[in-house]
Amino acid sequence: MHHQFRTAQGPVEITLARAGEVWHLGEHQATVEHDGRLMIQLASGTSGFATVAKVGDAWWVHFEGHTFCLERIEPGASQSGDEGGLTAPMPGKVLDVLVEVGQLVEAGQTLMVLEAMKMEHRILASAPGQVTGIHFTVGEQVQQGSVLLEMVEDEN
Amino acid sequence: MVSKVLVANRGEIACRVLRACKEAGLTSVAIYAANDAKSLFVELADQAILLEGDSITDTYLNQTQILQIAAMTGADALHPGFGFLSERAEFARAVSQAGIQWIGPSPNAIERMGDKMSARITMREAGVPVIPGEEIETENEEEALIAIEQASTRVGYPLLLKASSGGGGKGMRAVHHPEDLLEAARSARREALAAFGDGRVYLERLLTGSKHVEIQILADRHGRTIHLGERECSVQRRHQKVFEEAPCPTMTEEIRSAMGKAAVAAAMAVNYEGAGTVEFLLAPTGEFFFLEMNTRIQVEHPVTELITGVDIVREQLRIAAGEPMSCGELHLRGHAIEVRLYAEDAANNFLPAIGPLAVFLPPEGPGIRLDTGVRQGDEVTPNYDPMLAKLIVWAPSRAEALQRMRRSLDDFVVLGTVTNLRFLRELCDVTDVIEGTTDTTMIDRLWPEGWSPSLPDEFEDGALMAAAVAESAGLHRQNTSNHDASEHSGPVSPFITLKRRFP
Repeated sequence: MHHQFRTAQGPVEITLARAGEVWHLGEHQATVEHDGRLMIQLASGTSGFATVAKVGDAWWVHFEGHTFCLERIEPGASQSGDEGGLTAPMPGKVLDVLVEVGQLVEAGQTLMVLEAMKMEHRILASAPGQVTGIHFTVGEQVQQGSVLLEMVEDEN
Repeated sequence: MVSKVLVANRGEIACRVLRACKEAGLTSVAIYAANDAKSLFVELADQAILLEGDSITDTYLNQTQILQIAAMTGADALHPGFGFLSERAEFARAVSQAGIQWIGPSPNAIERMGDKMSARITMREAGVPVIPGEEIETENEEEALIAIEQASTRVGYPLLLKASSGGGGKGMRAVHHPEDLLEAARSARREALAAFGDGRVYLERLLTGSKHVEIQILADRHGRTIHLGERECSVQRRHQKVFEEAPCPTMTEEIRSAMGKAAVAAAMAVNYEGAGTVEFLLAPTGEFFFLEMNTRIQVEHPVTELITGVDIVREQLRIAAGEPMSCGELHLRGHAIEVRLYAEDAANNFLPAIGPLAVFLPPEGPGIRLDTGVRQGDEVTPNYDPMLAKLIVWAPSRAEALQRMRRSLDDFVVLGTVTNLRFLRELCDVTDVIEGTTDTTMIDRLWPEGWSPSLPDEFEDGALMAAAVAESAGLHRQNTSNHDASEHSGPVSPFITLKRRFP
């Protein structure tokens, strides 16, 4: 199984193999415990439990006293990629929602306004289309990478 | 008589006080702003009243509204916690005048210790050593600058300019060369005026390589004023303490006794009542100097509680009710260390962080105490101080306490919000910390360009593998978000997905 994550050092590609209950990544091994933690055995012989939680598109992992936030890059996702612009660029608060579900919008139209780090950020439609989902209302806090709105772009 | 206590605070310290009230058999009232409606402290109180308004000024700092709630609920005592209104003499006075017992010292004591210059003068008169320096009383800018310049030649360099109404490093400037003095004095005055409405600054000699050591005081109305030994809080970042311990590792019986006597003298000089802390700088020579007195319960009080066995908050309640303090002769036992867990990105210049506490699993085991105002599922917002919890450990010796702290920090799991856990963990491996030779400049000295974690590559491999397996195994689909967990019954699974959009 193939996954891509964004780390502090840049994007990383992971290809997992599975044999019964045991997952393999190169020489490393992992099993899923009944309580949802993962037992990780590294090639070096180090082993320990990892606790995980998914928030937005990011997997948070606690392993060996370290905490990691690994943003998953969805295969073929246009809306959550760098170009989509419909995800929150940083943590903040929704100041204004300027569209409704079902509304037709033009390219460049402001869909939502966020306040983050004391500055306003406008979330713009990158292409003409129709808004199909709004996930936050005015006053709500959003996390970095949260999907704010969804839209279907016009085909042409 | 004290029977019903209003806690005029929020978060961790409100929880601490509310629990103490319950244990003392007292009824409690919490006050909370709308954005705190689901906070832990609100549910710990017997009664919780919503504060009208949005800003901190309109809510937790709104003296009129808080007094109205106290009257409405029939509270006969008020605990201010720390921060907020805890050191506002005029509030303490208004509370007393409303016939409500203020759990703390008299307004007069708060005033005399709150103004740093008058505190220095009071202490000098009480025979407590103060840092060599000079007070500059004049409000007038021109006169003050001339006086500062003249005083600087007597105080000597390097020196420190400090705001008389200061705190938290505001209005404070270190000056190393005479030619920088006037500009530093002007900017310190500007900052102090803006922050405290009082531009007066005074001079102190800058004592480098010193430790920050403070003495915990308790005083009751039955003529007893005692000290509970010292805490060392030298490890600070921008004047914010991050690592505190008791006893001070370099303390001698002789210095403790002298410092304790000075602290008791300081408290008696202002007819102190309740719990308070007298802060000193301890120079490498063994000389110590009065810094300031905090006329309230302090964040780091648990380390003293662990080595003395005294419940300081419980004693505050007892003393406010007019009873004698309950503790007898004190014996210091073992060693305690506290670290402050902040929602902040230590690797990114300690920027405050926000987010959900998707997982919040504190460490467990003997000698571990957690004082916190949050629990799993809470949201860390930018509205208040980013301190999430205080982790305190006790062990028979300092080396064992440090080892226990390392283990506890390694076991502490917080997912969903960036914290300083790893920074705290690495602090435990710093030579100065291991040897107990910390001083107030340590963090800046060790990490002048900022801190970043030392992370073995293979751990990152392990984490990436965990994330990939979790995604492949669909762990995030086994539970929905906390926000719509209402239909979920039974034990909460640790896979909490706060995602609002189904893939």
